[in-house]
Amino acid sequence: MVRQPSVLGRFSSRLHDERTASWLGIWLGVSFGVAFLTGLISHFMQQPPDWLRWPSRPVNLYRVTQGLHVIGGLATIPLLLAKMWTVYPKLFQWPPLRSARHAVERGLIFLLVAAALFQMVTGLLNIAYWYAFPFFFTVAHYWTSYILIGALIIHVVNEWAKVQRTVMKRPEDGVDRRAFLFTVAAASGAVMLTTVGETFSPLARLAVLAPRRPGVGPARLPVNTSAVAAGVTTTARKPDWTLTVTGQVERELTFTMAELRALPQHTERLPISCVEGWSASGDWTGVRLRDLLRMAGVAADAQVRVESLQRGGPYRKSWVDPPHWRDPLTLLALDLNGAPLDLDHGSPCRLIAPNRPGVLQTKWLHTVVVA
Amino acid sequence: MKTRIALYAVGGSLILLGLRGIVTESEPRSWVVWFAGAVLLHDFVLVPAVLVIGVLTAWLPVACRTPVRAALIVAGALTLVASPMVLSTGQRPDNPSILPLSYGRSLVILLALVVAVTAIWLLRKRTQK
Ligand code: HEM
Repeated sequence: MVRQPSVLGRFSSRLHDERTASWLGIWLGVSFGVAFLTGLISHFMQQPPDWLRWPSRPVNLYRVTQGLHVIGGLATIPLLLAKMWTVYPKLFQWPPLRSARHAVERGLIFLLVAAALFQMVTGLLNIAYWYAFPFFFTVAHYWTSYILIGALIIHVVNEWAKVQRTVMKRPEDGVDRRAFLFTVAAASGAVMLTTVGETFSPLARLAVLAPRRPGVGPARLPVNTSAVAAGVTTTARKPDWTLTVTGQVERELTFTMAELRALPQHTERLPISCVEGWSASGDWTGVRLRDLLRMAGVAADAQVRVESLQRGGPYRKSWVDPPHWRDPLTLLALDLNGAPLDLDHGSPCRLIAPNRPGVLQTKWLHTVVVA
Repeated sequence: MKTRIALYAVGGSLILLGLRGIVTESEPRSWVVWFAGAVLLHDFVLVPAVLVIGVLTAWLPVACRTPVRAALIVAGALTLVASPMVLSTGQRPDNPSILPLSYGRSLVILLALVVAVTAIWLLRKRTQK
């Protein structure tokens, strides 16, 4: 018999057991899996390897995957805390380390718990625009997700037999786990219900805890980087602004605002789908990027880069691959919701394309470069 | 056994990959502070606080215990998730569309709703007897 220190006997709730831990573990496994997958989609959409071509349809694909990531992530917070409360007595198991193998096992559990908490805390602070940590959010959050998933795989392998044993049979011990699990689910549900409206606008009025509200912002659309933050308040207001199409083209073209407005205009309803999980649709009017590129004469598989008046920063320019620039929905927008673009939405001209994170919808354009 | 070993290898490689990324691309020192700090705060501040509340609510009459504890779990989760919005440290003058709501008020209303639902639950329990 292993000698138990008195502290273990003090955890009187019978919910600290295998069966509760198993059910919460299954739910957590699913939500971490979804978070990892949707997180990777977001990562590789922004930094695609050479062999990868993102489609431009379905229009709302990224909107859904990133909404799932962030709102699902928030809903996971109560699950994670409940699970760790359930297994908390194990923190005080005696002796703390029985063997080398046991030491490794506990080390891996530490990595799992730390990585899970780290993802929740940094994710939550990031969507609240509270950059309390000195490291760059995406880089730390991205690499920590591999630690989390690695430790999770090992944990699942180790616990699989227990999960099967307890979940497959009906308990006869009369412990009311159901009420507890329902409560945890209700807590997750409450978190979701009060935040999901930041991306699913029919529920916008319920989103009283969400950091964004569709419909709130210039022209009823939220803004991520303002003109002030981007340092373009003077350059973007210059009356002699022109848009140039250059690079590997048959004819280099330059347009004034009046010339752009004289080209065929199209109006499309497209969302801004932010990496931070919120999204909102607008009616954008402008010139099709593909029309401009055809006028300039480009190869069908050309890579296109759009550049902003911003002086620096990671989002000063973005690549528009063939699936996106050939898509008739991709516009160089001049108007939003029936009025000329607000300065904060990228006036005089911005990119708006389907199925693409908001950070890549480059604003304050002045050059289109064909590579 | 073979799949077990293969999965250990996959898991271990992913952990090493992640750690390598942190060391080469992020800032490992401050990362470790947050990574381990989150566990310390959770294990030695948050959970002990929850346990104290568990002990305190154990003094309630048996019939009230489950509803009150359920209410505290839901209220606690909402408060935790709401806290960075309530503090609204991320607000900035050049962009009023960030954190546009009065989150303190939102939270108070939600907590009042939780109390109301719990009260109805308790009343119904009493009248059913
Ligand atoms: C409360 C929970 C979470 C929230 C609020 C959250 C939030 C976010 C946000 C806002 C981004 C976008 C970053 C950007 O591109 O600027 C992101 C990316 C990502 N997340 Fe999470 N996350 C959470 C949990 C998780 C978990 C549990 C995992 C892993 C299993 C994860 C893995 C990732 C990955 C791989 C990325 C891509 C990072 C990149 O673009 O390089 N997240 N997350």
